[in-house]
Amino acid sequence: MKRSSKLGLAVVTAATISLVAAGCAASTTGSGTGTKASPVTVTFWGSYGNGGNSTQQDALNKTLIPAFEKANPGITIKYTDIAYDSLLQKLTTSAAGGQLPDLVRADLGWVPQFAANGVLVPLSGSMSDYKTLAAKDYAGNVSTNLYKGKYYGLPLDTNTRVLITDQAALAKAGVTAPPATFADLQTMATKLKGTGVSLFADSGLGAWNVSPWIWSGGGDLTNPDETKATGFLNSATNVQTIQMLVDWYKAGLIPNLITGNKGATGTSDGLPKTKYATIFDGPWMSGIWTGQYPKFQPTYSPIPAGSGGSISVVGGEDIVLTASSTHQAAAEKFIRFTQTSAFQIAMAKTGQMTVEPSLADQQAQLAPYYKVYSDQLKTAKSRIASPNQSKIDAVLTTTLTPAFLGKTTVQAALDSAASQIDALLAGN
Amino acid sequence: MTALAPRASRRRRSAGWPAATTLRYAALIVGAIVMVTPFLYMLSTSFQSQAYVLTIPPQFIPNPATTGNYTAAIGTENFLLYFVNSLIVAVISTAGSVLLSSMMAYSFARFAFRGKEAIFRLLLAGLTIPAVMLLIPQFILARNLHLLDSLGGLIFFYIAGSLSLNTFLMRGFFASIPGELDQAMQVDGANSWTRYWRLAIPLAKPAIAVATIFTFLNSWDEYPIALTMINNSDNATLPLAIANFQGQHATQWGLVFAASLIAVIPVLIVFLVFQRYFVQGLTSGAVKG
Repeated sequence: MKRSSKLGLAVVTAATISLVAAGCAASTTGSGTGTKASPVTVTFWGSYGNGGNSTQQDALNKTLIPAFEKANPGITIKYTDIAYDSLLQKLTTSAAGGQLPDLVRADLGWVPQFAANGVLVPLSGSMSDYKTLAAKDYAGNVSTNLYKGKYYGLPLDTNTRVLITDQAALAKAGVTAPPATFADLQTMATKLKGTGVSLFADSGLGAWNVSPWIWSGGGDLTNPDETKATGFLNSATNVQTIQMLVDWYKAGLIPNLITGNKGATGTSDGLPKTKYATIFDGPWMSGIWTGQYPKFQPTYSPIPAGSGGSISVVGGEDIVLTASSTHQAAAEKFIRFTQTSAFQIAMAKTGQMTVEPSLADQQAQLAPYYKVYSDQLKTAKSRIASPNQSKIDAVLTTTLTPAFLGKTTVQAALDSAASQIDALLAGN
Repeated sequence: MTALAPRASRRRRSAGWPAATTLRYAALIVGAIVMVTPFLYMLSTSFQSQAYVLTIPPQFIPNPATTGNYTAAIGTENFLLYFVNSLIVAVISTAGSVLLSSMMAYSFARFAFRGKEAIFRLLLAGLTIPAVMLLIPQFILARNLHLLDSLGGLIFFYIAGSLSLNTFLMRGFFASIPGELDQAMQVDGANSWTRYWRLAIPLAKPAIAVATIFTFLNSWDEYPIALTMINNSDNATLPLAIANFQGQHATQWGLVFAASLIAVIPVLIVFLVFQRYFVQGLTSGAVKG
């Protein structure tokens, strides 16, 4: 019975995807879109592969793309998966050589950078239904595509970071519930000293890593217009928040994974092994742990609140169309397909959260932890929208690392970071 | 007193040798441990499931052991295709590079022609440019030559990239082969090609072995050029496939190491085949004294 209902569900899902894909096909007109007589191949690059975990790639390659192609005879989607760490380098080189693919699943931080380089098509100008499609998505995610008054992409998936805890580590700290505030973390820190369990672990000091601490601590990265960091990033509030982390680091309660030790145990392994009590991470972790640590039962809860509340950072990817594409109409058809509920829910099943708030309830039915993420997203903020976002990350990492290592003070580190980021924002 | 001095000195020296030998052995053993430990750790990790990898203290004997990582790596879509692609690229690049660079080295070593030293130095200058600086120019060149996204393109650039070092290595070697041998063959009527092919190449086996090992290893391991030039996964090489095992959010190290160990096998074979020439005397026996 159970098996047949699962089979039925699969058939219904496949049928729905096919129908929606067919709907996309019917709504598009114009020449050069790919027909049986003159077929086109649309190339698409991304990083759906997840360290040997091919769930997301399989959903794309084996279910979604075939459904789209069946509904759009004449259009073939050729997806190439590239290691995330290398994708930006490959895109940069290919852009310089004018050899970009038609479509890219780009980290939302990269879109302004490529838009500034002139290698993307502003979809708000080329797609007549852009406004309708964008209106269905989280406004925060849509805004990551904005560069100089034009929108260069559409949100493909979203995510944020929440607190994930290991119950066994909490027990070692003598608590039963995950820490809800900075004060709770301080209490846990005292109790975990000397137990060999780290209070918190993270894999870097970029904006993705430190922003939740800064915002939840009541501080900010820049002024509201994102034109100046001095006076904001190096505020007394932020010094206090970062000093709290530095103190934990010096007490051995945060491992040196955060300061760049590539040999340290990663957060995805340290938490299930009770080496780390808490981490901040995204919804993809569930799928990774299900495969690798089937007995591990993580607890998902909001980012611990400081004086600024519980504020996390918006993450995700956008789909963008490159200016060198010779199959723009066919590529736009596929972009429309990615905005359908069938595509969004199929990817949500693999750990990629939907960008459409109207699908949040449906998504929460897939797994209870999605509700924690959806709720966190309501107050989550985007990182600085700048073509220099990767440089801003590098500035934060290179200035904060010496503070953690005790080579400089937190105030001096934040002063230096703010001044360098000012220069990068001035170049926007 | 003076008569005793040399004997005492000899005694001191003979007593000192075992100590020096012990030190040498100690240094070699420490060096060997430093070199071999990471490999053993990699080997051990490749037989562990994810729950047991990266434990502290490090586990060198996997317990429980599993071959699951190897099954998963080989079972990954197209893994065998990537292996074959790498093999094709590395073998052809190595053969092409060794052939071309040995001919260039022979001409630099044996012939006198205008601008010889200038051309040789220009060639050597290529060694001083960091490879990463050449990525975009090479990419544009590949695009203009229609070599993008093909194994032929990789072979072209791998051969070009290895010519400088191999020519430099082999020129020195050819120059050390006594000129009398060439002259003797010349008197017998041998032309340049015969002297190169029948005399220089057989005597240069150690240098060819070194060039072969270096070129094969570099072509087999190469990542940045393959990453930028290959778009279609059907043309991907093993380093690209192994990099894909490292995820944005998590990495299955057991899988990465199992795939890396599979990738090491051809390199080991090449090294074992050519290793004996490494230690062979360079021109011993070539000229009778």
